Amino acid sequence: MPEELKIDSATTPLIEMRHISKAFGAVRALHDVDLRLYPGEIMGLVGDNSAGKSTLMKILTGAYSRDSGDVLVGGAPTHFKSPHESRAAGIEMIYQDFALCGNMDVGQNIFLGRWPRKGFFVDRKTMYSEADVVLKRLKVDVNSVYQRVESLSGGRQQSVAIARAISFDPRVVVLDEPTANLSVMATERLLETMLELKKHGVAQIIISHRLQDIFAVGDRVMVLKRGENVGERHITHTTEQEVLEIIVSGKREKAA
Amino acid sequence: MSDTAELRLGRPPAQLVGGWELGLLVLMAILFAGGALINPAFFLSGDAFHAILRDTARYAVVAVGMTFVIINKDLDLSVGSTNGLVGVAFSILFAPQFNDWGPIGATIFCLVLGTFIGLINGVLVTILKVPSFIATLTMLLIGRGIILGLTGGRSIGYAVKGRDYPWFFQLGETNALGFNNQIPIALVIVIIGAIVLAKTRWGYETFATGGNEQAAIYAGIPTRWVRIRAYLLSSLCATVAGLMAITQDKGVTAQAGLSSELIVIAAVIIGGASILGGRGRVIGACLGAMLTVVIDKVLREGWPTTRIVQIDGQDVEVSAIAQLPVGAVPALLGALLLLAVLVEPYVLRRRLVGRFWAWLRKKEPPLIIEATGIAIEGVQTKGTMASDKALTARGLGKFLARRDALAIILAVVLWLVGVWLRPDYWWNLQNSFAILLNYTELALLAVGLSYVIACGDIDLSVGAVLALAGAATAFAMKVMGFDPMIAILMGLLAGTAAGLINALITIGFNLPSFIATLGMFYIARGLAAWIVAGKQLTGFPESFNLLGRKVGDILDHFGIDVGSGTLRTISEAVSVQTLWMIVIAIIAGIILAYTPFGQMIYATGGNRRAADYAGINTKRVRFISLMFSALCATMAGIIYTAFFRSFNPTAGQFRELDAIAAVIIGGGSIFGGYGTMIGALAGAAVITLIRALLQLNIILPGGGSFVMPQHWVNVFTGLILIVAVLIDIWLRQANILAGLRVRFARFIRAKSEPEHA
Repeated sequence: MPEELKIDSATTPLIEMRHISKAFGAVRALHDVDLRLYPGEIMGLVGDNSAGKSTLMKILTGAYSRDSGDVLVGGAPTHFKSPHESRAAGIEMIYQDFALCGNMDVGQNIFLGRWPRKGFFVDRKTMYSEADVVLKRLKVDVNSVYQRVESLSGGRQQSVAIARAISFDPRVVVLDEPTANLSVMATERLLETMLELKKHGVAQIIISHRLQDIFAVGDRVMVLKRGENVGERHITHTTEQEVLEIIVSGKREKAA
Repeated sequence: MSDTAELRLGRPPAQLVGGWELGLLVLMAILFAGGALINPAFFLSGDAFHAILRDTARYAVVAVGMTFVIINKDLDLSVGSTNGLVGVAFSILFAPQFNDWGPIGATIFCLVLGTFIGLINGVLVTILKVPSFIATLTMLLIGRGIILGLTGGRSIGYAVKGRDYPWFFQLGETNALGFNNQIPIALVIVIIGAIVLAKTRWGYETFATGGNEQAAIYAGIPTRWVRIRAYLLSSLCATVAGLMAITQDKGVTAQAGLSSELIVIAAVIIGGASILGGRGRVIGACLGAMLTVVIDKVLREGWPTTRIVQIDGQDVEVSAIAQLPVGAVPALLGALLLLAVLVEPYVLRRRLVGRFWAWLRKKEPPLIIEATGIAIEGVQTKGTMASDKALTARGLGKFLARRDALAIILAVVLWLVGVWLRPDYWWNLQNSFAILLNYTELALLAVGLSYVIACGDIDLSVGAVLALAGAATAFAMKVMGFDPMIAILMGLLAGTAAGLINALITIGFNLPSFIATLGMFYIARGLAAWIVAGKQLTGFPESFNLLGRKVGDILDHFGIDVGSGTLRTISEAVSVQTLWMIVIAIIAGIILAYTPFGQMIYATGGNRRAADYAGINTKRVRFISLMFSALCATMAGIIYTAFFRSFNPTAGQFRELDAIAAVIIGGGSIFGGYGTMIGALAGAAVITLIRALLQLNIILPGGGSFVMPQHWVNVFTGLILIVAVLIDIWLRQANILAGLRVRFARFIRAKSEPEHA
């Protein structure tokens, strides 16, 4: 496994962020941060509050603009101005608050904003059958694609949000604190879903405070502190204790 | 493949109609039967059915557009005045005594006018971020002011010229098949609207925007355009309905479309739409319109009665139609609106009917879907830039950084303008006294309202509650013959009852305060008109009238002599109500600024969830604030009656707008969390002075004079409210001036840097 990863690092990373800096007024959110993500990999992104994890991901998806640095997707430099542009490049972000419409049903939510059309009308047949296919692919148990999302539990809502992300056929999925609002059971199911996604070759970045989740499914973990890289470890070569120490007292370590 | 998928998935849910629509049909049948029982002559004739369908047609058309707006989680209160304004515009263009245009040109102008109004509403609500009820309520009152200003309150008719264009005016007439042409027109619009909403992307986008706007934005739905589009639809539907009314009446009155927004909103809500957004169907709204029209007809038609009258010693039987008095209909429709808003969250969402049916069959009841919000509500952190400035500023800067600085400066400037324009009038004691009295009424309302607005709620009913309390007091004294003390008590009871209903619906049922107080706006004013209908309510005991007298009059009343010095002058200028208002304002101001309760109010308005977590009973805080606002309006109403020595049902009209504008100008935020008593008082002074200036009799150089009519003054007040809200949102909170300054500084630096290099 480690050998594989080493070979991987010789190939082109799916996503490469180089020397990213970002300031909000006088506050330096990110300073010269690097990030690499390889195909089919699950990477944990950890760090204290205000370490810059979400900011880094928002720069990746184009929700924020960077002050300096480069973002390369599949080796090609990009300048996303909005999440819609990064979506076209195969990058999907799943937000902590799910971003679903509770008053609409599962099928309508999976195709939110891009409902298939037949002439003037929404093609419900295609919409629901494709939604069903996506849910089956993820192996999530939602009773019916006709169920209103507000009637689902938090975990199931998360599944719908992931199903929605998957339906774009993304190469990269970013999950921002996906387990923050979930029960223990729902967390288990989510981690299974992530492994299922990995089987389909989707690379994932998971932002989480819960190291055990990252150690359960992750390949690599990257630590940010006060907007700087302070460590990067292969899960198989490290322990939760070590990562915790880096989070608390890590110093900037820059790959030469 | 997709066929088998369909089989596996089962039948998709129905989109166009549901069980609720069926229930409405049953309810309507019952009501019609009830109407037939009371007044068989009217309701059992085919005419009645036809008349109901014909009148429903116009409301149903407006309801189509309103459904889109309400599903978007917005509200359009301006449809009634758009409806009337279109009629007036058409009439003025078409009528031979005015412009004598053809019907096509006038119609095109009306459509352009409707588009324009919809666009203003949409832009105000979406791009400029004014809360929809404030923006459209202002448009409603501006529209009404313009209608009165243009028509001068008279009707315009052109029945004769109308005969030259039968193809146009036939649209509002009964056709050869025996039914009115408006019915098929409405049917076509309703069917198109229903299909667009339920089956096309436009409709889906509407549901997504109303359900969770943030999610819709993430999904790439242009929610601003979706909302503007709904306002355009709503306004155009109101335009079409206005033109339909024109073709039927061949003329227009100044009352055209008056409070029809109430019927339309009630209709859409009764039709199963949620005032909280995201739910609703056009067919339901259309049936709701019919139900509301049936109720309206049942209320208005009255029932035949026979009385025995003795004439010259002989008994003569006189038949008459007993009708509900003026005001009863809007009062009952307002109550209907308040009942209707409870339907979706408490009946439909909790599946009451299904659960009852299951209980009857002794089956397992269906699950209750508790719609706990999926989206995290927008985090409110406001005014940071301005607050920062206030911390570092010194001296004058410190004053200018206050949120209420604008109001204080404006009040002084406006007063000086008054002095400059008409020194003779401005320095006159009697006139200052009149201005001060106007000020007192408004300031009292603003004092109460500043609590409600600081809590993040709104009270649209203050003007109407003022009227209700005044009416109740006058009625108790003159008709029921109570002594002043008990009459005042009854006035207080009526006003606080209104406040209690506001608070119960807002807090008890957890619905937006604007809808609860909007219902009360119609109920209280309707009740006031109902109570005093046809009665001469004047000549109260002098001990009561003293409440509205100058201090000097009271001294005279009790035979106290203070000589003729300064004390006398002051006692001639200051009246009891002013002193009373000052006492209330000081107490309320101290509570707001210096007590824990005041801090609780600010916390509740700033971030209700955070306040809840911090252990503040925000429900109690909001409840007390709404009650206090109603109490202040009640006191203003009683004082009004005492001051005028009579009661007029138009008391306090437009006062809600003035009071909201006063609080906002005085540093309150329409989103809650801000506002001071000094600011509210200064804001009230600004509004009073603007009104006084607008009504000034200005002496022109040629020796003539000019006074602006009252209708146009009201239009101006509406504009002032909108400007005040915009200033608050964009200058105080978003601080665009500072943003521009930063940009400008950057631009200068960028320009000068090459020279340095």
